Amino acid sequence: MAHPYQCILASNAGSLDEFNWTLIGASGPKLVVQSCSGARSTWPKEKEEIAENGQGDEPNGPPGKRLKLSPPEEKAPNFSTMVMSNDSQYLVAITGEDKCIRVFQIDSDCQLQQLSQRCMPRRPSAITLTSDDSTILVADKFGDVYALPLLPSPGEERNAIPTAEPSEAVTEKKFTPAASVLTVHSGRNRKVLEEQMKQAASLPPKPKETMKFKHDLLLGHVSMLTDVIYTTVESPVEGGKPRGYILTSDRDEHIRLSRGPPQAHIIEGFCHGHEQFVSRLCLTKSGLLVSGGGDTDLFVWDWLNSRFLETLSIRDPVFDFLKTNKFESNLPDDKAHFNIAVSGIWNLPNKDSEFDEILVACEGIPALFHFKVTGGKAASSLSHVIAVNANALGVAFIQPRESALQMIVSVDNVHKPASTTELRDEEHASRLQYFSYSQAGGWSSQAGYHKQESDSEVGMEGARKGGDEKAARDILYNVEVLRKRPGAED
Amino acid sequence: MAGEGKNKNKREEYKQSLKEGDAALPQKKFYRQRAHANPFSDHALTYPKSPTDMNWATHYPAYALSKKEEAGDEAQGSGAQNPKAITQPVEIADIGCGFGGLLFALAPNFPDKLIIGMEIRTSVTEYVQEKIRALRTQAASTTTNQPTYQNIACLRANTMKFLPNFFARGQLSKIFLCFPDPHFKQRKHKARIVSYTLNSEYAYVLRPGGIVYTITDVEDLHNWMVGHFEKHPSFERVGEEEQEEDVCVGVMRMETEEGKKVTRNGGVKYVACFRRLEDPPWP
Repeated sequence: MAHPYQCILASNAGSLDEFNWTLIGASGPKLVVQSCSGARSTWPKEKEEIAENGQGDEPNGPPGKRLKLSPPEEKAPNFSTMVMSNDSQYLVAITGEDKCIRVFQIDSDCQLQQLSQRCMPRRPSAITLTSDDSTILVADKFGDVYALPLLPSPGEERNAIPTAEPSEAVTEKKFTPAASVLTVHSGRNRKVLEEQMKQAASLPPKPKETMKFKHDLLLGHVSMLTDVIYTTVESPVEGGKPRGYILTSDRDEHIRLSRGPPQAHIIEGFCHGHEQFVSRLCLTKSGLLVSGGGDTDLFVWDWLNSRFLETLSIRDPVFDFLKTNKFESNLPDDKAHFNIAVSGIWNLPNKDSEFDEILVACEGIPALFHFKVTGGKAASSLSHVIAVNANALGVAFIQPRESALQMIVSVDNVHKPASTTELRDEEHASRLQYFSYSQAGGWSSQAGYHKQESDSEVGMEGARKGGDEKAARDILYNVEVLRKRPGAED
Repeated sequence: MAGEGKNKNKREEYKQSLKEGDAALPQKKFYRQRAHANPFSDHALTYPKSPTDMNWATHYPAYALSKKEEAGDEAQGSGAQNPKAITQPVEIADIGCGFGGLLFALAPNFPDKLIIGMEIRTSVTEYVQEKIRALRTQAASTTTNQPTYQNIACLRANTMKFLPNFFARGQLSKIFLCFPDPHFKQRKHKARIVSYTLNSEYAYVLRPGGIVYTITDVEDLHNWMVGHFEKHPSFERVGEEEQEEDVCVGVMRMETEEGKKVTRNGGVKYVACFRRLEDPPWP
């Protein structure tokens, strides 16, 4: 059984005059690229993998040595999130296990060339690019947002000055304890001090992991970051430059609005209102912010003024969908005890609609929810509930021709619909589903373009044999776990 | 452990013996708690959804909008004044107030300002709240010109996570960070109350011209705090002369619990103050 596509994206649907599209899916540690011309490629290539391991220095070197360089039991890291540059030339993807940001060039013949691989000190949880594609903004699980150039200039690596914490320079010198005998101590501090003394006597301090590439610490929350958005707004001052903003969301219910670089240290406001973790942010066509997470509702904001506009219930339609479609095994009788976790919010690139329209996915739910959003100007409403064959994981839109809109949904072919734990029995369930949209008729299911499914892919067989099952599940389902559990330590 | 259970029982008994109208000061021995708390863990905290949701009236009853107004508001529904509101906003915050030494010393120095102590440890917060209650009761029964302690309050909070839930942009004029946990271990440095990224939040709740006061007896931590504030474009360090003229600096040196301990030990106290600058125009 092939690994599901944990994330998919497509190049800008119908950019001005061309209707070329490229679809990229991440399947475990692999990337699969498909274009409208029918070209298709995967990364890494089988051949490339071997070449990489050999490092190219000694193509005829003893094979034993190569093995040492890359022990076969080491597993390739899985992709956790990715974003395409606005000009569709580059793909920036995060691999989770090794905390790396990888930048790929997308060639005209659909091949991916990895240009750089930069490992962060903490696992990145979300990425975005500035509007001019020059800078990657990466948000991590520790709460910090860093800015990295998309393409590091060749001279940069050596001159890079890490944004060192002032103390790092100090501690890399000879160890001196931070406290003195005159310092007031609690018993614990005294123990730490003793330990430090002992350690200093026995081993030299470990060399600190430093990032040997240009990176700037822009801002930080004391909470795990879940999403980051960069956007620009026209200056309210006549003749002023457009203003850049960074929006960040965290596990502690916060949505923060900061200025863009170089003034990212200035917080402009917060969108207060969530009572559970916030997991996804989405800017609509007209510039409204929609946020979702562990709450029963989605929130709609006039984010520039930190103003709450309206809520849209997401729990109720999800609950009703499960009830109507007889996915009742894990469903509590009472709606109030039913938790949902929003795993995706997408802005519908629908030029014909005068309203903002969004699609919402929730973790472990085999459906997508299509809302019309007005920001309180008129009645916002749930327009469509789109049932899919399995739990929805990701969504990408393409525009194959004038005023045609199609949607590709990646679905979980491994677990049973409406369950994140029970494995399904069919061996060859499809991993992608296709829909086309019309203003009048809504969504209708389509036959696919993808000629995949049969070819060799990284299998989930390993996962089936237990052990890895949980790890595999964590790649697909990592939102509901953000919920705080009652009775945490006091 | 048997001893622990006994202590716990004693604490419970003691706390239950306290009564609303009691004027006796609480005994510190029943409120001791380990000196450290993990600022990253999900404590069972209560905090307002936003600054406008904060019920300040329960903390500063003397400043609450009158009961009559409240009832009227409820009848009128939304649009009227928030019943949880008070007549003036809190302006001074003592973050990590501990047993409240600074709070009690600041109260008479700023009789017309509202001061809040924020502390992450439950028992320690309770102690300060009991002491405020007792001091308010004492003041009410004397006619001399004593401080009323109506302008100070204490609440439990993890300010590293939730400061913007309590205060609106530019609400505060002073923030005190007195003898913060030094977190000696290198990998615990993110848990320090001062960092470049957290300073953005202090800048957010402080009005331009507002001051952050820091004091510690750990030189390394002092250097760390100075380094991180000086690196932050929203702050500048207050000059030594101005610093020494500030009444708050003297109070901070002499009146905090830790400050007294350091004096007894003959230790050194490092002070640094930072002024919040105006935000620059957009580039």
